[in-house]
Amino acid sequence: MPVRDALNPDPVSDKWEVQLRKGCLELAILAALWGGRRYGLEVLRRLESDSDLIVSEGTVYPLLSRLKALGLVQSEWVESDTGHPRKYYALTTAGRQRALEMAAIWARFSSSMSRLLAPLNEEK
Amino acid sequence: MAIAGEAQQRVEAYLNRIRGRLRGLRAEERREILEELRSHLLEKAATGGMTGAAVDAALESLGRPEELALEYVTDELLARAEVSRSPLRILDSLFRWASLSIVGFFVLLGAITGYFLGVVFLLVAALKPFHPETAGLWASRDASGDLALSVHLGFGYAPVGGREVLGWWIVPIGLLAGCLLVILTTRFGLWCARLYRASRALPGRG
Repeated sequence: MPVRDALNPDPVSDKWEVQLRKGCLELAILAALWGGRRYGLEVLRRLESDSDLIVSEGTVYPLLSRLKALGLVQSEWVESDTGHPRKYYALTTAGRQRALEMAAIWARFSSSMSRLLAPLNEEK
Repeated sequence: MAIAGEAQQRVEAYLNRIRGRLRGLRAEERREILEELRSHLLEKAATGGMTGAAVDAALESLGRPEELALEYVTDELLARAEVSRSPLRILDSLFRWASLSIVGFFVLLGAITGYFLGVVFLLVAALKPFHPETAGLWASRDASGDLALSVHLGFGYAPVGGREVLGWWIVPIGLLAGCLLVILTTRFGLWCARLYRASRALPGRG
């Protein structure tokens, strides 16, 4: 995105953006599982198509394991026509609860930020 | 099929490098991790026609096996800590981290030092009632005349020319300092793991 680069020549802004994205990853994964069970590659594709989170693939698998260890998702192996079983993840009750809480916090936070940033955005 | 066979071999070689670094995780857990990654790699490579380039791309976007294994290991440490903060379990995870990276090595070194000192303080507090004359914190002049402090557990003789500093105060102070050191060391280990994990969470491609 050349526009952004022209606006933000400062690497600090990029770092900040990376931090922002990191903070959202857990919620993004829970949200990607909201509609039903998915396996790792599906979660990745969903994140790529519906958000520009630019997730490193190697990050999502350990994170899914961790969400499982925390009891927010559960997993099951399902045979597929590719000849390799796939590990499907689904939200547990605790995971759904957590996703709802995080989404509510996010909505509050982003609407108050939008109000605060309105004058800056009108400037453009 | 020759290409597919070779592709499969490269995938297995990659998974073997991860397997070697997941030692210590439960066998079942390790098997699931590897099976899931295999499934991911083969499906991605198949989307690209199972060519050499497609396999390379799939392997590359998953990242270096050492780093991926590290993420599982540090995640396991953090997940374990949610359940139990036993220093033994934390040290066990830190040993695995240290075997994988230089950062982990220094974290382990720090943790061993912290736990060791903590245990020494607890021990001296516990042994003081049994060796009242010799257990405690002793100050003495070393060969060059500098003041040196040393902890004595009370076995053997009191240090020659030394002077006991805290007396019976070593009991409450030792208990307090020992507990604090153990708690702070555990926090230090977890803090390092979280910091490491956060720095790795989203390196991204952009």
